[in-house]
Amino acid sequence: MKRLTIVISLLALLVGTAYAQTKIDFFEAFSGPRQQWIQDRANEWNKQNPNYEVVVTPKSSYRDTLNSAILAARQGNPPALVQIFEVGSQQAKDSGLFVPVGSIPGAFDTSDYIKPVLDYYTIDGTVNSIPFNSSNAVMYVNNALMTKAGLDPKNPPKTYSGIIKACDALRAAGDTTDSCITFALHSWFFEQWMAEQNAPMANNGNGRDGRATQVLLTSQPALNIVNWIKELNDKGYYTYTGKLEDWNGSEAIFLQGQSMFHIDSTSEVNTITKAGKDGGWIATTAELPIADGADRAGVVIGGASVWIMKGVPADVQQAARSFIEYMTNTDNMISWHKLTGYFPVRISSINKLDQAGWFRDNPNYAVAFNQLLQTKSSTATAGALMGPYPQIRTIIEEAIQKVLNGASVDSAMNQAEQLANQALQQYNSNF
Amino acid sequence: MREGTPVFRSRTTAWLLLVPTLVILVIFLYYPAAQSFVLSMYRSNLILGTRKFIGLDNFRELFTGLLAPMYRQVVLQSIVFSAAVVILGLAISMAFAMLANQKVTGARFYRLLLIWPFALSPAIAGTIFSFLFNPQVGAVNHFLRMTLGIAPRWLDNPILAFSLVVGAAIWKELGYNIVFYLAALQNIPGELNEAAAIDGANAWQRFRSVTLPLLSPMTFFLVFTNVAYAFFEVFGLIDILTKGGPVGPSALHLDNAGLTTTMIYRMYQDGFGGTGSLGFAGAQGVVLLFLVAGITVLQFRYGGRNVHYGGGS
Repeated sequence: MKRLTIVISLLALLVGTAYAQTKIDFFEAFSGPRQQWIQDRANEWNKQNPNYEVVVTPKSSYRDTLNSAILAARQGNPPALVQIFEVGSQQAKDSGLFVPVGSIPGAFDTSDYIKPVLDYYTIDGTVNSIPFNSSNAVMYVNNALMTKAGLDPKNPPKTYSGIIKACDALRAAGDTTDSCITFALHSWFFEQWMAEQNAPMANNGNGRDGRATQVLLTSQPALNIVNWIKELNDKGYYTYTGKLEDWNGSEAIFLQGQSMFHIDSTSEVNTITKAGKDGGWIATTAELPIADGADRAGVVIGGASVWIMKGVPADVQQAARSFIEYMTNTDNMISWHKLTGYFPVRISSINKLDQAGWFRDNPNYAVAFNQLLQTKSSTATAGALMGPYPQIRTIIEEAIQKVLNGASVDSAMNQAEQLANQALQQYNSNF
Repeated sequence: MREGTPVFRSRTTAWLLLVPTLVILVIFLYYPAAQSFVLSMYRSNLILGTRKFIGLDNFRELFTGLLAPMYRQVVLQSIVFSAAVVILGLAISMAFAMLANQKVTGARFYRLLLIWPFALSPAIAGTIFSFLFNPQVGAVNHFLRMTLGIAPRWLDNPILAFSLVVGAAIWKELGYNIVFYLAALQNIPGELNEAAAIDGANAWQRFRSVTLPLLSPMTFFLVFTNVAYAFFEVFGLIDILTKGGPVGPSALHLDNAGLTTTMIYRMYQDGFGGTGSLGFAGAQGVVLLFLVAGITVLQFRYGGRNVHYGGGS
């Protein structure tokens, strides 16, 4: 028995030294097939780089990922890589716990990234993080219901009033579905609709010329959006599950054929297209409907990027960056795009997809993508930078929910603006 | 044992035996509580790692600032929520315990079934309820659609959402309460009920004048643990079921916060919901502590009078 113990411990020691790799911790927010995709890329990279081991730790949500990374860093044990959602960018930068990706020794080439994506993650002229999953909002259309309403599925409505008219037609056709349009009650859509009207969310150049001090929630463009949602709701055309930010809930309503239109992230193109095909009712994508008379200035990049933390040895930082460069290389971005619908963030990936005829054969992916490419570069479409952005999102969502429950648009948005401004002021007073 | 008779000869032995408990209490209870008192006086941000003394500003913000209407609503909701969970929960548990205490075949099996919800974590309980009550694909609405042709919107109708969370919280705690009530019921000597029956008391009178008073020490204890449960532990349930929403009807001025946002949930939202306002959350923790302490003091002062410990004193 004693001898056996010795043999086992010796063996363990041997194995231990043979695999004395440096760990590269990667905190990310996905689950299911998306997490598996990341894990697969990590396994491939680990095989090629035996001295390092990327350890992928899923944290289930964007907010939790950021919190756990910050806490880990404050306890002296930072992960090398953290996936941070777009609205966490200002906080991540302000925390001082991250190192801009370009300032790690060795070249970091930004020339292959598409401009809207790069614009978003550039703060004060510095690219801080590596673009990864990027999406914007797109409208999904149930073709069977469009036909039933006597409308042409190839010509979906493009404006707020167009949506209302289409819903009128659906109702006139004696439709018995629960509603006409569904989307998660999420501030992200509000932000997209602001950008389409070329309206900034915050002052000081959307927080990009200097720290934002005012959130612009009572501007005419903002009121246009909420008034439209109110009209949809008053007529019984809008539905959602009642929970804030319930992406899956709204998607389920649409997938069960309970609504004609569904606004969601482009990252769902694959799932929804498949479901529509399997169900025999065909789901197509269409441009985001916008406020009547607006210029269609474009959409704001959503999604997340990968940040590298301070307090990690320089060689690990370099290896960590090389892993993300591998994970987001030309071919991997193509496979990621096909798996989800997230944009391939590299120009080289897009060219390769184009040459293979991908966008021609898969118009559902193309609509979403053209919307991004046609975006006019401006402070409004670059997206807002605000420290307490996650909190401001909740304030906006609660204001819209108040309107759905009977409050007036003016009072709800006025109050939301005051609360959001206070959140900004308190955040800014930390400096 | 008479009062004042020391069990231990020296005080040192008594203190020595108390040390392990005290150490644990200090490390896990008193020290963190003291820390949140300190924290409540600071503007402290989790993400930025900043800390700035601001005196009572966080409390001023809660009670007179822009967020005061929100916080008033949240405190009110917490009290209504906790009262409902404690009163309804204990009444239902007592009824179940009395039924399960009857001498029928398979009584042990029924008792086991009644107890198992207690073994679930609040998060699991929340998930089960969210599957059951999902307005589109949940089993409950599937059944209601088939039988009555209705599909109530459990999560966005304010009254339904609030009732659903109360119901889930009660269900989750049933097992715990029933175990204690069963134990108490089995300790009630049968002669007392027999004597009352011989004196001509009917079932209701026997319950009212014999069983209920003899259960009162247990009720007193359970009120205390259930209050703590309703104020502190329902967090996971709320996070999974409703995320604190939906906001109430504007006409009743209940639209300043989600109707199922209790004090502990709001504290989490401010501290860890994305903004990391630890000081502000700390101040809410202090208010919550005082509120629950106040309720406990009231309970011991007034509730204690009605507790009947049986036997001579």
